Parts: sequence; structure tokens; C-alpha cells
Amino acid sequence: MKELIDAIVAMDEEKAIALTDHMIDDNIDPMKILDAYRDAMAEVGRRFEEGKFFIPELILSGEMLNAASEKIKPLLTAANKSSKKKGKVIIGTVAGDIHDIGKDIVTLMLDINGYEVLDLGIDVPVAKFVEAAKDFNPQVIGMSGFLTMAYDPMKNTVAALVEAGVREEIKIMIGGGQMDNQIRDYVGADAFGKDAIEAVKLCDQWIK
Amino acid sequence: MSQSSENEKCFKEREKRVMDVVALKKSDRVPLATISDFYFATSQGVNCREAMYDYDKMAAAWKTTAKELDLDMTGQLFSIMSGKVMDIMGIKGFSWPGAADPAQRLPDHLQYQYHEKDLIQADEIDDFLKDPSDFTIRKLMPRMSETIGPLAMVPVGINALSIPYTMIMGVPMMAALLGDIGSKLKQAGEEHLIWQASQDKLIADLKEMGYPTVHNVTGQCAFDWVADNLRGLKGSMLDMYRQPDKLMALVDLFEPQMVEMTLMMAEMSDIKRVFIPLHKGAGGFMNDAQFKKFYWPSLKRYFLALIDHGLTPEPFYEGDYTPRLEYLAELPPGKIMGHYDKIDRKKHKEIMSGIACFWGDVPGSLLVSGTPEKVKDYVKALIDDFADGGLIVDGSANGLPLESKKENVMALIETVREYGKS
Repeated sequence: MKELIDAIVAMDEEKAIALTDHMIDDNIDPMKILDAYRDAMAEVGRRFEEGKFFIPELILSGEMLNAASEKIKPLLTAANKSSKKKGKVIIGTVAGDIHDIGKDIVTLMLDINGYEVLDLGIDVPVAKFVEAAKDFNPQVIGMSGFLTMAYDPMKNTVAALVEAGVREEIKIMIGGGQMDNQIRDYVGADAFGKDAIEAVKLCDQWIK
Repeated sequence: MSQSSENEKCFKEREKRVMDVVALKKSDRVPLATISDFYFATSQGVNCREAMYDYDKMAAAWKTTAKELDLDMTGQLFSIMSGKVMDIMGIKGFSWPGAADPAQRLPDHLQYQYHEKDLIQADEIDDFLKDPSDFTIRKLMPRMSETIGPLAMVPVGINALSIPYTMIMGVPMMAALLGDIGSKLKQAGEEHLIWQASQDKLIADLKEMGYPTVHNVTGQCAFDWVADNLRGLKGSMLDMYRQPDKLMALVDLFEPQMVEMTLMMAEMSDIKRVFIPLHKGAGGFMNDAQFKKFYWPSLKRYFLALIDHGLTPEPFYEGDYTPRLEYLAELPPGKIMGHYDKIDRKKHKEIMSGIACFWGDVPGSLLVSGTPEKVKDYVKALIDDFADGGLIVDGSANGLPLESKKENVMALIETVREYGKS
């Protein structure tokens, strides 16, 4: 397994695919293979935090994991499949904003780190966030927005969650190009995260 | 002194105030120059849809704002594109207020947004490189424009038209396939000329009022041209690992074209400053080795080519360029007017002092949601950091966000005027 983890962390996609295929052919426990990918992703996250890895490495390792998961999923037993998630998170780019790149990377990293993520997509109306909060019952809502125009829709979303009586039970984080702590306070969120790894750390901190 | 000669004098003073700072010379006051766009319309109650569709209304609002703000340089007009031209062309890949297609229509109060995607798919790069013009005409143009969509039906490469016989047989066949593309293009062209004339007139009117325009030409570095538009973020980031040679081939292909296009546009304008929004080279998007290999060499050559032709590059360093300052310090002193978004100012001072001025960086978050007092404190600290000169003040990301509170914008301006005197 160490060889596979090393290959993923070294961004050697070809080797990682070959090793994975080989392990599947050798009937290695599929959960163990997936665990190796998770360990590798944790190391990728660590290196991102240390400023050694950047967006290309997050995207490529995510691609490697997705490709491996596609192969491994059919081999998992029902018990494996329903492996316990750490918690539930709703993600969406707020109303009027159609940017998805940052949101997608956050969704990917949360998913990899064991969270059940409901991605509402882009240009998400306030009412959809509220409805999803009631139905999905998340511990965290992450609102994404690239532009300054996202400030007010974020603020309105938080206000609507308060109005609906669900704000108290949910932590809210924001992220995106023009977000900062000033906007966290302005919209009434609990935290601002500057990147996907910070989003994961916030959730880890909140959901113990 | 007559009003017009007074205005002419002000124009020259303002232009000099900014360009002296760019040239690292002492100026009488910290200059105010902005890259804002829609704020000039919306602060007068003209919404984004009206700004894109009613050129006269937009121009009137812009002039009122220019007078109200009384900056040394007013914002970038060309950002306010023509919604009418975009409709006629059936432009895909944008959403904007007032779009004829409801699927692409944003509410009137929002500015247009660009959908970044991989126009050239990962497995199409070879085809593109083999014949870029044909791929552009038959694949990319139909992907960007509904109106030009029928070009995708042309069954053979465009170079099949390279002999007289195909001019007789092939061109009429193509014309039949293409239907009314010609009339739509004519209509778009006519509308574009109307829009262009309104922009040119506005720049001339502003000049008459004594206000220089910050720039009227935009360029892009080769990597961003490829990554922002042709391969998208995901595509280009994966290419760095999966097909680095092909990514470099795309960058190499476009590098000379970037220079050629920019020089051609600059030739047509009296304003010799070129806006260059930079994206994928920011900290976080790639590591130092990747920046050094894929991004910096062609960007540096682009800057130098423009400088050689007497132009002032105005790079907009969107995101955090702190990790790239050592590279930017390789540029010739006093020639670059760089606009910053998020940057470690102390590091900038340390590394760029004597090389390039600092232009920025009052956060949009503060202008939208802060108070005049907070803005004042921020601007004072900014001026203190650059007490010995080399500063031009503006909002950080896109200048003044259109959602800015007027009192915050005025606090920014008043603080510079009071506190920024030499």
C-alpha cells in the first residue's frame, strides 16, 4: 500500500492506476485500496497547508481518487458502501453568482475527507438553501461567491435561515475570491475559509 | 483662463501625477486612478442592463460620476460591453443582465459573468495545434456563438478553399449551409460600430472635462489566454501534469499573437497604457517551478515587448501575487503600473521598492460593508506604508465594486486628498 500512497502523493498518475488495477486483479480488499487513497489524500492536504502543493495537485489527486472509486465501487459490499460519514454539509454558490470552480474543489475535498456533501450548484436561490437545510439536516452550510455581488445574497440566505428557525443548529462558512472576515461579520456567518483545506478544517472543528 | 484651457491644464496635471508615480518620480499628491467599470453607471442609478444596452444613458452617468469622484484617472469603459452585440452574436459562455436568451439572463442589477470552461477538450489539443485556424473557425467559433453555429457544419477543412475550382463549387455550397450568418454578422458589426463610437466619444468628452481614462486597450498573457479561455482551470492544471508539452505548445503558439494583437490595438488608441488582467499565475494556482516554466517566461517577454514599444503595461495581479514578487522585480524600473488585489504590502515594499509603484488596494469588502471611518483608517495606513512615494490608490479587486457605499468611496477619495499630499 505504501507504494500506492507514494505514487499518488508523487502525482504519478500512471503508476497509481497500474498499482490499483494490479491490486484489484489480486483480489486485495477494496476497502484497503480506498483507505490507501484516503491516506494519500490526507498527505496531499497536509502538503497543501504547508504551501508545498497547490490547486493542480488537489485537482489531479482528486481525479485519481475518483477514477479509482469508479473501479472499486462495484466491488464493495453493502456494509462497505454504507461506511459512516463524519457529518453532513451543504455547499452552494449563492444567488446571482455562477462561478463553480472554488465550490467544486471544496465539495471534492469535503467528500474525500469523509463528509456527506449536498452540492446545490450555482446561482442557488435563498429559498433553496432553506429548503435543503430543513430536508438534509446538515451540520454545516458552505456558501461560495466569487464576486462582491455575492455579499448580499449571502446575507439574505443567513437571514432566511434565521427566519426559518434552523440557523442555531447549523454552522455557516463562506469562501471565494472577495470574501474575508469583514464579510463573515457582514453576512452573519460563523467563519471565512480561504481555501478548500480550511473548509475541511472548519468542519472537523465543528463536527467532532 | 477659459473653462476648456483650464480643463486641458487639469488633464495634463492628472496624467502627469499618475505617470510620475509610475516612473518612480515624486508627485505633488498620491494619485487616484481606478480600474472600476459598472460603478460609474450604477452609482447614478443606471443599472447594469441599461449600461450594456443604452450607450447614451451609460455615457451620461459615467460623466456625472467622473465629475463627482474627480479622480486623476477614470475607469475602464470597454468592460461595459454591448449587450446588443452579444445578443445578435448569440454569445455563449457569458451570463448578463438583459440577455435575449432567458437561460443566460441575469437580473438587471448584476454585472455580466464569464463561464470558464475547456473550449478545447483535453484530447483535441493535437487537432487544434495541427491547424489552429481551421479548428477555430469550424469548432471554436460555433462553440462561442449561436449565430456562427452553422460553421460547424462545414464538412471539410477551410484550406479546401485554396484553389479556384473550390471557389466556384465549394464557396456557394458553404454559403448554402451557412444561411443568414452574413446578415447577422453585418448587423452585429453595425451595432459594434455604434457602441465603439459611443465609447470613443465618451473618452473624448472626458478628456475635454479634464479627466484621463485609465486605459483603453486590454491584453492577456499567453498562459491565461489558454487557461482562462481555451482549457479552463481544471483542464490547464491537469495539463501541467498530463500533457505539459502540449500545454507549452499552446502557450508558445499564442505568445507572439498576444504581442501582435496588443500592439495593433494600442496603435489605434491615444492612451498608451495596456490593461493586462492576470489570473492563473497567482499564489495558490501553481508552485514556483510551474510558474517559472509555464507562466513567467512568456509574461515577462510580453511586458518587455510592450515596454519596448513605448507602452505602459498595467497588469492587474488578481489574487495573491506575494510569492511572485521576486520575479516581478526582474522587470525594468519605473515602467509598470501594477494593480494589486491581495498582497503582502511590506514584502512588496521590500522587494519592489525602486522597481515598480504600488496600485491598490482598499478591499472591496470594506467599500461595500465597512464604514467611512474604517475606510479612512485603511487608506491612511496605506499611505503611511508608502510615505516616500510610489503609491496610487484604488479599490483592490475591480477598483470600486458597484455595490460600494457612496460614503465609503468618498471617504477613500477625501482621505487621499487630505492625507496624501507630499
